[in-house]
Amino acid sequence: MASIEFRNVIKRFGDVEVIPGLNLTIEHGEFVALLGPSGCGKSTSLFMLAGIYLPSGGELLFDGHLVNEVEARDRNVGIVFQSYALYPHMNVHDNILFPLRFKKTPREEALVRVKAAAELVHVGELLDRRPSELSGGQQQRVALARALVKEPQILLLDEPLSNLDATLRLTMRTEIKSLQKKLGVTTILVTHDQIEATTMADRVICMRGGGIEQVGTPDDLYLRPASLFIAGFIGSPPVNLIRGTAENGAVHVGATVFPSEGIRGDVTIGLRPEHLKFAGDGLRGRIAEIEPMGREILYVVDTDVGHVRVLEHGSAAAHSAGEAVHIDFSPTEALLFRTSNEKLIAGANVCPPRRAS
Amino acid sequence: MTTVPLTTSPVETDWAQLARRARWTNRARTSALYAFLIAVSIPIILPYFWLVTIAFSARTGIAETQVLWRSLLVLVPAIIACWVVAMVARNLRRMLAGFAVVAAITAVAFITLVGPSLHLGNFIFLVERDFASVVRSRVGEVRGATQFPSVWRAFWNSIVLAGSQTIIVVTVASLAGYYLSRFQFPGRAPMLRSLLVLHAFPVMTLIVPMFLMLYYIGLLDTLFGVILVLVAFELPFAIFIMKGFFDAVPWDIEMSALTDGASRRQAFVKVVLPQVTNGIIAVSVFSFIRGWEEYIFVFTFLIRNTNWTMSLYMFFVRDDVMGVDFGVVSAVGVFYLVPSLVLYAAAQRYLMQMSIGGVKG
Ligand SMILES: Nc1ncnc2c1ncn2[C@@H]1O[C@H](COP(=O)(O)OP(=O)(O)OP(=O)(O)O)[C@@H](O)[C@H]1O
Ligand SMILES: [Mg+2]
Repeated sequence: MASIEFRNVIKRFGDVEVIPGLNLTIEHGEFVALLGPSGCGKSTSLFMLAGIYLPSGGELLFDGHLVNEVEARDRNVGIVFQSYALYPHMNVHDNILFPLRFKKTPREEALVRVKAAAELVHVGELLDRRPSELSGGQQQRVALARALVKEPQILLLDEPLSNLDATLRLTMRTEIKSLQKKLGVTTILVTHDQIEATTMADRVICMRGGGIEQVGTPDDLYLRPASLFIAGFIGSPPVNLIRGTAENGAVHVGATVFPSEGIRGDVTIGLRPEHLKFAGDGLRGRIAEIEPMGREILYVVDTDVGHVRVLEHGSAAAHSAGEAVHIDFSPTEALLFRTSNEKLIAGANVCPPRRAS
Repeated sequence: MTTVPLTTSPVETDWAQLARRARWTNRARTSALYAFLIAVSIPIILPYFWLVTIAFSARTGIAETQVLWRSLLVLVPAIIACWVVAMVARNLRRMLAGFAVVAAITAVAFITLVGPSLHLGNFIFLVERDFASVVRSRVGEVRGATQFPSVWRAFWNSIVLAGSQTIIVVTVASLAGYYLSRFQFPGRAPMLRSLLVLHAFPVMTLIVPMFLMLYYIGLLDTLFGVILVLVAFELPFAIFIMKGFFDAVPWDIEMSALTDGASRRQAFVKVVLPQVTNGIIAVSVFSFIRGWEEYIFVFTFLIRNTNWTMSLYMFFVRDDVMGVDFGVVSAVGVFYLVPSLVLYAAAQRYLMQMSIGGVKG
């Protein structure tokens, strides 16, 4: 229940600048997801929030107060470590109880809260076990219970669901989310799973190389990715990227022409597989591969501009390999990036190629 | 019952014969291994066995070695019999039964062959302070015996020496090892290197300067002085060992403790220290034994006989009565040996885990 602000926060390890200047505000009670490739500084940012790492520069504020030098134990931050970090010499009960031992919680109340936290994450029957006697998923849930039991003002979750099976992950997702809403605790969730990020969080922060690439609602990131990097990182199967040169009101890719007004220079066209459909006219190609994906079917189409992935609804393939097809799309759903700086060109339209009349 | 051929190959495989052959190969290999182990362990075990036998059987002024051979006559067949039982027995029950039979036969043989020679007379030093004179008088020597302190006094001194040395070494090594493992500070690498180099010096080389130092600070002929010297020599290696154990403790549980509201000290005591109990036990046992066995420094730095430790007591007993009664010398040896054995026996479960060390990361 605190707002968080990073003001130009820098983190160096020796000579390596891992975070070169982070600016970010997270509101009171907000649930944000931190998304980004491995090694981009997600855990490091969380550790600075928790007070484990001291920022090398800049200011970190909770509720507008500078906390750079406040000790970890005084910050009241609950954290679930990527590696769980359960205490190996204590059983599950004592692990969950540990934070309460320093809060002067009355004994009876502490025991009740431990029980409640354990029930919440379904580890009520495991209280007597040592961490080494638990599965990875169970350890993760114990870590979550330990972070929640002290009713923190900020909850930091470093990939808390990565080791759960699909069903449990789904239930835990909803449970964490409803719990977060109920407690109103400001929460940051680190994840590699974009579906997790987009379903659970109010806002998604996409990081890259220690900086923030884009902040926005899940829809923003999906429909209006600020850069090629985000377009490629978010969405599965990945976006189709076609490089070309824009001149004379069209993007030229080899001999193929995508009509597009008002743009010049080297550009990259981004086409989401789920925004593409087969039609009577459009980009010509031949189906090379068919991959059934449950309720959708992914076609890999061999075209003059390279392989293009097309995702169609339906459980049975309506087309067969080797078939000649035309790929069509709506100009508003196509993305156009400038190749030189990889940024989105806002408001630009690209149309599918048309058969010469 | 008809047998159905399992394979279509023309040559019938005789599985039973293959299994028999594997069994025999296995047994032969195990036998060879045991034979080797027995061969190398006899020179190690035999002196201890004889030490105990002499302590309980030798009599003043009589140089008799027959009992040693008679006891061997009991021991060696017993060991071989145990080994054969272990080899031949098909299941645990039969093996235990076999051991019981061997033990019974051994006991009977021991009582008849060795039993009559056994007595506790050599342990006279436990109750008689001036046992040297008593022993000498048995062979007609009346004068010239060394003035011995009570053996319990020496025993207590040894306990104090080894115990306080251990406590200091373990405390300092834990704190220093933790600091070296976790914190970066200028000069850390040279410090680590020098820790090992320090251990490489033969302690004898420093004995004269040490003597002078103790003399000038007035700790010569005090147990405390020797304790300090021992601690100084023991510490580098102990620190190094403890640093290794702390290195194996993952950082994240410590960080987790800090965010859970623990102070640095609480995190160290409640979370980190329990992960290195094996290391602490190992360092304690080795320092204690080192202090218990210490001879050179106590010999050089302690003078009054009320300051004698067990090793000095042992030395002077050997010096004084060896020619008269090696039974008493052996009995003192057995008495000196017992605490080390008890300690090892109690701690061996932990010492065995030493190579594993720490927590899995
Ligand atoms: N203690 C440290 N000393 C030196 N470099 C470090 C340290 N901790 C992290 N780094 C570096 O900082 C960068 C960011 O690390 P961080 O752990 O924050 O990544 P991450 O985004 O959490 O990745 P992942 O998704 O794989 O967990 C990495 O390049 C890493 O090598
Ligand atoms: Mg991480």
